[in-house]
Amino acid sequence: MNSSRPSINWLPYIFLAPAGLYLLVFQGIPLVQEMYLSLTSTSLLTPRNNTFVGFDNYVALFRSQRFLGTVWVTFVYTVSCVVLAIGLGFVTALLLDAPFKGRAIARTIVTIPWAAPPVAVAIIATWIFNAQYGIFNHAQRALGIPAYEGWLDSPQYALPAILIITVWQIFPFSSVVLLAALQGVPKELREAAQIDGANAWHILMAVVWPALRPTVVLLALFVTIWSLRRFDLIWLLTQGGPIGSTNTLVIDLYQRAFVSRDLGAAAAVGMVGLAVALLITLLYIRASYRTDRTEH
Amino acid sequence: MFVTSLTPSEALFAGPSFLPRLAEFGTTYVEALSTIPIVTWLLNSLIVAVGTTVLSIAISLYPAYALSRFRFRGKGIAGLALFATQMLPEAMLVVPLYAIFGQFKLLNSLTGLIFVNAAFSVPVIIWILKGAIDSVPVEIEEAARVDGCSPPGIVLRIVLPLVAPTLAAASVIAFFHGWNEYVFAQTLVSSESLRTASVGLAGFVGELSTPIHSVMAVSVIYTTPAILFYLFVQRFVVAGMTAGSVKG
Repeated sequence: MNSSRPSINWLPYIFLAPAGLYLLVFQGIPLVQEMYLSLTSTSLLTPRNNTFVGFDNYVALFRSQRFLGTVWVTFVYTVSCVVLAIGLGFVTALLLDAPFKGRAIARTIVTIPWAAPPVAVAIIATWIFNAQYGIFNHAQRALGIPAYEGWLDSPQYALPAILIITVWQIFPFSSVVLLAALQGVPKELREAAQIDGANAWHILMAVVWPALRPTVVLLALFVTIWSLRRFDLIWLLTQGGPIGSTNTLVIDLYQRAFVSRDLGAAAAVGMVGLAVALLITLLYIRASYRTDRTEH
Repeated sequence: MFVTSLTPSEALFAGPSFLPRLAEFGTTYVEALSTIPIVTWLLNSLIVAVGTTVLSIAISLYPAYALSRFRFRGKGIAGLALFATQMLPEAMLVVPLYAIFGQFKLLNSLTGLIFVNAAFSVPVIIWILKGAIDSVPVEIEEAARVDGCSPPGIVLRIVLPLVAPTLAAASVIAFFHGWNEYVFAQTLVSSESLRTASVGLAGFVGELSTPIHSVMAVSVIYTTPAILFYLFVQRFVVAGMTAGSVKG
């Protein structure tokens, strides 16, 4: 298009401008405002009244035992989501890759949880984990473990309960993506390995896994980032309780902003979460850059 | 959920039962519809979801084309910025957005919800559409260009029809986003007549005074369209999702 003159081609910029402007207004500017808020003492009741306090909010956060608990819960929740959702996704992808009758239907059914609205999932979850009628308490009693309270009301079981529901909702994404990646593994490679006398496990480790690894790593990055910002399921089920046992960074942020009405501290929590997400992304980019260089 | 929606309370509390009486079907659903303003909620959700879909696609198409076809300064940064939006929690931006919406008179309106939902789905949709446009051969566009078609016209008339399946996938993703969204619908809208189904239903979570079979009936009514819609275009969604992430 601009072959005759070596001038700047403005077309891509013109194409990008509306979206850029839109995202700037609805994400960029709010983000900057939130950054500023994190350096102020601001109440939800008088949001225009901010006193600049520097890094006081951050200092207070890292000094509080409660916040360290929040960081720990976020860590456990995120790592468990990554391991369990990708693990379950991997197993189901392997199963769905094998030929069997009704495979097309099975592939569709597996993806349904992903389409279910979180609010509806939360409603079902309150019944699944209900103390008297829920199946988990039934199972507990059947195993001879005393079960007086619903899992969501128990400081010990609330996080596992939230994890079970979260993983159920998000694993289809991993499953679908890994299935597509599996289908990209050349059949001949697997057949060749089979002829060479490799068993299923060896084929999995030597042929399938190396081909899938980049996808798994990328998935891990996405699941991590999405878990760090997940709000509705956790908020609807436990609001971070009981006794902070399911209090992730985002839940803590919302609590501080709308329950304690401390917008400054809430923004600081948000910034910490964002810093963690950024750090993990940078680590990922560096790692994938390195493997790129060693592989080529 | 469906089973529970058809089981009368007494039977439900007697223990886990999986055999609803079909005769209850009519009563439960009529009762749910008369006590809970589910029709209003669903209509609001529908408006938000359709609006989010249309707006997101309209905003995303040209940037996706630009990122796919052109080499230009700042392309890497644009891609990174798109990815960075994935890290922003809705709950974090609610406070500043509330202030901005107040200035634009967008508070307490479904239009406002559409605007904010689109902002969260646009980055994903740009990425998915870019993946699809990548696989459309450039040669196809050359012919149109020779015929004197302008670049925006090429995108609309040549590229758009060729990526139709992915467009369907992207639409479903945006639709779901609007249909399921809870945080903004909860905080940015206050009047009852504008309540979406997600917010309306959220009021029932953990609440025991509303008969559970009514709650379940409403949940079924809320979930079914989403799932049906999803099943309808499931093939394209999966293709779009994998195109976006495997290549990404």
